[in-house]
Amino acid sequence: MGREKEKEKPSEKALNLLRSRLSDPNFIFRPLSDSPDSNYSKLKFIISTSVTEACNNSILLLGPRGSGKVAVLELVLSDLLQQYPEAISVIRLNGLLHSDDNCALKEIARQLCMEHQLLFSKVASFDDNSQFMIAMLRECGLAHKTIIFVLDEFDFFAQGKQRLLYSLLDAMQSVNSQAVVIGVSCRLDVDQLLEKRVRSRFSHRKLLFLSPSKEDTERFMEHILSLPMDSSLPHNYAAEFNGRLKKILSDERFKELIDTYLSFNFTIGHLVRFLFQAVSYMDLNAGFLSLGNFKTALSSNQRQLKLESIRDCSVLELYMMVCMKRLEVKEQTSYNFYSVMTEYKSIHDSFQTSDYYAANVCLRAFEHLLQCQLISFIDNKGHNQSVEFRPVKLLISSAELHQGLKSYQQCPAILLKLMDR
Amino acid sequence: MFPILVYGGPSTGKTSVTLQVFRHLNRPFIYSSCITCYSPRILFESILNQLLFHRKDSGHSYSSLKRCERPSDFVNYLREALENVITNLKGNSGKVSSKMSGRPDGTMVYLVFDNLECVRDWDKSSTILPFLFNLNDILKMPEVGLIFISNTSPDTYYLNIGYAEPIPLYFPDYTEDDLRHIFMANQTNSRLYASFLDVVLRPFCRVTRQVDELAAAFSSLFKKYSEPLSDKEVAPNEEMKRRLFSHIRPHIASALNETFQVRSQPLLKAETNQETKKTNSSRMPGVREDFDKIDFHMSTSAKYLLISAFLASRNPATLDASLFDSTGVSDSHKRKRKASEKSMDQKEMAEQELLMKGPGTFPLERLLAIFQCITSLAEDSLDEEESHELTVEGGSRGLMSDVLLQLSSLCNANFIIKGGSCPLEGSTRYRTAVSEDLALKVARSLKFPLSKYLYRR
Repeated sequence: MGREKEKEKPSEKALNLLRSRLSDPNFIFRPLSDSPDSNYSKLKFIISTSVTEACNNSILLLGPRGSGKVAVLELVLSDLLQQYPEAISVIRLNGLLHSDDNCALKEIARQLCMEHQLLFSKVASFDDNSQFMIAMLRECGLAHKTIIFVLDEFDFFAQGKQRLLYSLLDAMQSVNSQAVVIGVSCRLDVDQLLEKRVRSRFSHRKLLFLSPSKEDTERFMEHILSLPMDSSLPHNYAAEFNGRLKKILSDERFKELIDTYLSFNFTIGHLVRFLFQAVSYMDLNAGFLSLGNFKTALSSNQRQLKLESIRDCSVLELYMMVCMKRLEVKEQTSYNFYSVMTEYKSIHDSFQTSDYYAANVCLRAFEHLLQCQLISFIDNKGHNQSVEFRPVKLLISSAELHQGLKSYQQCPAILLKLMDR
Repeated sequence: MFPILVYGGPSTGKTSVTLQVFRHLNRPFIYSSCITCYSPRILFESILNQLLFHRKDSGHSYSSLKRCERPSDFVNYLREALENVITNLKGNSGKVSSKMSGRPDGTMVYLVFDNLECVRDWDKSSTILPFLFNLNDILKMPEVGLIFISNTSPDTYYLNIGYAEPIPLYFPDYTEDDLRHIFMANQTNSRLYASFLDVVLRPFCRVTRQVDELAAAFSSLFKKYSEPLSDKEVAPNEEMKRRLFSHIRPHIASALNETFQVRSQPLLKAETNQETKKTNSSRMPGVREDFDKIDFHMSTSAKYLLISAFLASRNPATLDASLFDSTGVSDSHKRKRKASEKSMDQKEMAEQELLMKGPGTFPLERLLAIFQCITSLAEDSLDEEESHELTVEGGSRGLMSDVLLQLSSLCNANFIIKGGSCPLEGSTRYRTAVSEDLALKVARSLKFPLSKYLYRR
C-alpha cells in the first residue's frame, strides 16, 4: 500500500502563496522602499552613519497604525546586520509590555545577556539592572559596537515619570557609549509628551510615514497579487491568472471599490488586510480571482453592527427598547428596569397588545439587551445595587432603532406606530 | 494569518463550529475561555500549560508549570514554547504522513480565546485588551494564528489606543425556520414533534430566540403535550392535533411567563402529588401553581431576618417608632386627607423616585432592632397557639449570635447587599435585594402580616 500524496491543485498553491505573501511584512514593504528618498533609505543612512562614525543618535518614527514603521525598521536592521555583522546589537522593547521601569530594565538586561551569552539572573534588582546596562553601554562603546534600542509604542514610555527614557538618553551623553534610540509611535505629537529634560537630550529627528499615492497603490496591488512566472506553478495557469488580474485591476468598478475602502482606511496595513480577505474568498474550483471576491470583502467590512444586533432581538426586547425611547422622549433621562416596566404596562393598558409578559421574563430580555450592549449601565460603580435598580441608557439612536424596526421581519405594527409619535 | 474575531449572539454555535472545524482539519490549537480564566495570570498560565503539555494534577498540588503574571513575561515564555512546538510540527510534517500517526496537520499553531467580552469587566482590561489584540504584531511569528470568539460585536471593543482590527466573522441568530430545523433533529417521533412545534414555536419566538432558553421551555412543555396520548409513537392526524392543541393551550400562556428554574428536591415530590389533584379539579388557566410557595428552604430565623431587612429598606427610619412599639403591635391608621391635584402629582413623582432609587440602606443596629420587635411578636403568638412546635430558638440571647451568622449567609446569597458606608460614622450599611413578591411569599409562609407594616405613600 503506497503512501498517497495529495496532488495540490495549482489554485490551492496559488492561494497559499498569495496568503503567505500578504502576511509577510517584509515582502510588502520592500518594493515600496526602493526609491532613494523613501523613509527606508533615510533611516538606513542615519543608522549606518551612527555605526560607522561611532556617534550617538535618536530618532522617532511616526505614522498611523499599519503604515509600515516597524516593517521598514526591520528591513533596515536586517540589511545592516548583514553589512556589519559584529558591530550591531539590537534591543527591542514594547510600550504595551514594558512601560513599567522595572520591567523594562529587566527586559533590557535579559536581552543583553542573551546577545552576549551571559547568565541572566531573574532576581536582580532595579539598581543592579541599571548598573549592568550602563556598564554594558560603556563596554560596547569601547569595543566599537553600537547598541540599537527599538522602543515600540513610544507613547507608553512617555507616560509617568519617564525614568527609563531619561536614563537611556543620559547614558548616551557620556563619551564612551555608542547607542541609537529609535522610538516608534502612532501619536504624531509624541515628542510634546516628553519632559523638558528628556526632550533636551533628544535629537528632534522625526520620520513621517504617510500613505502612498494612488499610482503607487495600484502598482503595489498589481505587484503583490501577480503570480510569479518562474515558480512551481504551471506556466499557462499563472499567465491566465495574471491576465485576469490585470483586467480586474483596470476595471472602473474595482477602482471605485478600492477608493471607497481607502477613503476610510488609508494605510497599507488596512489595504493588505482587505486583500487578504478578498483572496481568501477566491473560489478554488474556478481558480481565479474575480471582482465578486473583492465585493464580498468590502461588504464584510462595512457591516452595520447595531442593525444586526437589533435584527437578532426578539419581539419582547424590541418592546423594551421602544419603551426606553418613549421615556427618553418624555424627558426622563435616567431610567431603570422598573420604570421601563411601568411604561410597558401603560402601553399594554392603552393599546391592549397581546405581548404582555411577566416581570421575570422581561428581566431576562433586559439582561440580554445588556449583554448585546444595546443598552448599558450609566455608571460602573453601582455594584451594590441589583440589576433592576441600576440606571441604564440606550446605546442606539432613535434613527437606528427606527431603521432596525423597519427591517425586522414580522415587526408588530404597534411598535412602528409608537416610534412615529 | 490575520487575527479573526468571531462574534454573534449567545448560543449561535460560535465555539462549537470553531472547535469542530479545527478537529475536522486536524490542526493543533490551544483553547482558553475568558470565563474560566478570569484574571490575566490564570489566562497566561493556562495557555502556557497547554503549550508545554503540562496537566495540573495533585502531584504538583495543582500548580502551573511557570508562574506568569505580567504580559512581558508571558510573551517571552510564549515565544519559547511556540518555537518548540513549531519545530516539532515541522519535523513531524517532513516524516510520516500525519493521517497514519494521528499527529496534527500543518505547521501553524492557533490560539483560540473564547468569551472575550468578559475581559472588558476585568480590572486590568485597559491594558489586557490592547495587549491581546496586538499580540499578533508583538509576537511577529507567522506560524501563529489568533482567533477571538465574542458575544458582542466589534464596536464594543473600541479602545483608546487603537490596534490592528481583527477580521470580523458574524454568526447571525437563528430565524424561526432554523430553529424548527434544530429542534426537529434527533426527535424519535418527528410528526408529533412537528405538530407540537407548529403550536408553540411562534409564540415563544416572540419572547426569546435563544436556543438554550427555548430548549428548556420546550422539553417540559412537550411532556405535557404528549400526556393524553397513550401511544407515543403514533403520528397524529388532524383531529388528534386539535385535541392535543386544546389540551396544551392553557399551559402555553403560563409557560411563556416562566424562566428556567432549578427546583429543590422535596418540592418535586410535592408537585407530583399536586399534579394528580389538579387534573381532577378544574383550574383557571394562567394561574401559576406555586403562587404561594417559595421554592427553596430557609430557616425561620432567616425568614424573619429577611422580612426585617425588607422592611428596613422600604420604610423610612422615622416610621419605626410608630410602627413597632414595645408590644410589637402596629398602628396602621393613616391619616386620611383629601387627595388634591398637587398631592397626586407629588405622589406620582415620589413613586417615580422610589422606582429609580431602589431600596434604601440601613445600618446593622436598625435591622436587629426591627428583628427583635418582629420575633417577640411571633413568639407571643406562637406561645398562644402551640407550645411544642418551637422552631424559633427559645430565649433572645441564643437568637442574637445565630442572627449574625444568618445575616452573613443572607449576604452571600445576595438577598442582602452590603451598601456603601455611612459618611459620618464609617460603619457599613446594608440594602435588601429581594423583590416585594418574594418578601410577601416569605411572610405568607410565616403567617406574618407584612402588608400592615409596609409604608405606602
